[in-house]
Amino acid sequence: MNTLEIRDLQVRVADEEETGILKGANLVIRAGEIHALMGPNGSGKSTLSYALMGHPRYVVTGGDILLNGESILGLAPDERARRGLFLAMQYPVAISGVTLYSFLRAAVSARRGYGQRAHESDGEHRRSPLIPGREFRQEVRAEMAKLEMDRTFLRRYLNEGFSGGEKKRAEILQLALLKPEFAILDETDSGLDIDALRIVAASVNRLQRELNMGLLIITHYQRILNYIHPDFVHIFYEGQIVKSDGAKLAKKLEAEGYDWVREQFV
Amino acid sequence: MIKERTYYPSPTRKDQKLELPVNAAAVAALSAYYAEPAWLRESRREAWELYAELPWPDRQEEPWRRVPLHEFPLAARRLVLSPPQLSTLEELPPCWLLPDLPRAHCTGLLIHNNGGVCYADLEEEARDAGVVLQDLHRALESHEELIRRHWLRGAITRPDFNKFTALNAALWHGGTFVYVPAGVRVERPLRTLTGYDAAGGTGLHHTLIVAEQGAKVTVIQERYSLESEPELNSEIVEIYAAAGAWIRYISLQNWGKQRYTVSVQNAQLERDAHLVWGSGSLGGAATKEFLRTELRAPRAHAVMRGFTFATGQQRLDQSTYQHQLAPDTYSDLLFRNVLRDQSRTVFYGMIRMEQAAQNSAGYQANNNLLLDQARAHSIPGLEIMANEVSCSHGATVSRLDPEQLFYLLSRAIPREEAEYLLVQGFLNPIIEHVPLSAIRAYLAEEIARRFWQAAI
Repeated sequence: MNTLEIRDLQVRVADEEETGILKGANLVIRAGEIHALMGPNGSGKSTLSYALMGHPRYVVTGGDILLNGESILGLAPDERARRGLFLAMQYPVAISGVTLYSFLRAAVSARRGYGQRAHESDGEHRRSPLIPGREFRQEVRAEMAKLEMDRTFLRRYLNEGFSGGEKKRAEILQLALLKPEFAILDETDSGLDIDALRIVAASVNRLQRELNMGLLIITHYQRILNYIHPDFVHIFYEGQIVKSDGAKLAKKLEAEGYDWVREQFV
Repeated sequence: MIKERTYYPSPTRKDQKLELPVNAAAVAALSAYYAEPAWLRESRREAWELYAELPWPDRQEEPWRRVPLHEFPLAARRLVLSPPQLSTLEELPPCWLLPDLPRAHCTGLLIHNNGGVCYADLEEEARDAGVVLQDLHRALESHEELIRRHWLRGAITRPDFNKFTALNAALWHGGTFVYVPAGVRVERPLRTLTGYDAAGGTGLHHTLIVAEQGAKVTVIQERYSLESEPELNSEIVEIYAAAGAWIRYISLQNWGKQRYTVSVQNAQLERDAHLVWGSGSLGGAATKEFLRTELRAPRAHAVMRGFTFATGQQRLDQSTYQHQLAPDTYSDLLFRNVLRDQSRTVFYGMIRMEQAAQNSAGYQANNNLLLDQARAHSIPGLEIMANEVSCSHGATVSRLDPEQLFYLLSRAIPREEAEYLLVQGFLNPIIEHVPLSAIRAYLAEEIARRFWQAAI
């Protein structure tokens, strides 16, 4: 069975004096499971997501990350993504001059192994071959329709001038096209109004079922969990998981806030 | 759907092979060879005197400070005029017509090779409206007065600008002439190619573009060459936009690896004239360009977009000048350079607003993206004599953004591919100004070739 295992993970931020943001995080996510990771601001939730994806600013000082039993610590972010890990970012980066279409096509081609095919014979051009345009366009349009995204977005520059909600939809569009085994959704609900949240959640639920995906939903609020029902809820505090339980834990946090967590685990 | 169109080959010269040393006798010999009118003979002769008097530019002078003039093959030059004789377009070596562009996308086509014209045609409708796309020598037979009125009249397209322009004015041969009469709108581009592949010749091309009142035209000029030894190139481009004229000039150079170029280009805009100037510099060993717009009358409007991609040991050096002399004028310049290996680019940008230029706006930006150990120099400047103007300039030199790179990597895109996407993205806002998808595709291919040629 596919698993994503976080084992005693310790992380610090490069160029910063502070010793560690993650202080031994442990979590196992199996295929098909939905986990919610909740915690107050500054608890290290986003650090965990970046560390899982291999952001160079986050330096792993101890522990391990295993994807299907194999350590991915030595792998660059692109290799992790090709192996089936996905991170929907809290703050997707805008890239002027690169259209959403050309970006998605490059990403999908890489994930599906078009890039590994033989380089052009003259040895000069080493560009990765791309998925055929017609086939790709059909697929991407179908997914955009499900997310109620206007297809004119394809011609726009990646995330440039997108509203908060549009950026989050574009993240889920990428999730739908890249079809990962494990996905981390980092504060995907922030910036979404209630209608957009419903649409996004419906797509995530559908994809989760279709792909039997393992999901890690990182969130500050319980709201998104009304639409995506977690099997497990974990409280993240000061770089560690301090408590794990079923969905009812999220309700408790919603009702009582994080103060009791602080009191109990300081 | 591409409409069937009728193209008429324009009358062109049938030049014989001609070889001359660079000396005073050659000036007279060229005038005789082309049977030129007296004023032009005189113009050449005066220019030659200037050439003989003037020293080569000194690296003490700011615009030349970083130009490797010592590498330029200045000594013992020759003129070699040897265009191939073609009667139809099909006889062209196919490599000349890159990119593969459907003929019907252009209104006219003019091709020069090795200093002489070898092909010219123009669509029937444009020809009947009085549009001209022809080699300059031949056009002198029909449009002498017009050419004379616009001959070497730009602020910098003058023989005394420097020794290179004097050389061109004295010994130019081969030239592109574009003329659009008042009120005539040429909706599809005119395309002109200038190429060299013969050994030992000096490139001295002259381009003259005149759009009369209310005329509209797009001119795409492409340059290519193949050298077996270092070659010198001194080029002049003059653009004249009369009141209300609309000109889009797309100037592309993809010179061969051993070509050393000084290119002096000047555009004069009258009242309500509109210029879109796109410049793409890809080739050559070393290139110095002077690009100047003169906004001489109220509401003249100029947009300049340029890009370069320098590789290896290439030197690409540009001096731009936006000169605003009248009220309510507008100019906006954005030049972007990508550099890799040990290449070097230099950008001097100047906006000068004269006292009369009240209520004008002038903008200038130069962005440089460094990929390797390359170096970019960016020296923007403003000279503002008027008090009611809006002006800004900005220059950046940067490397690829690590957050953008991480975002692309996190989407499975391999590092080099991600870097390539960012380079493309950096240049796209410039390339978008190029009309005709086939030419944009060609530029994209050239950019890809430069990016991937030595990627690890």
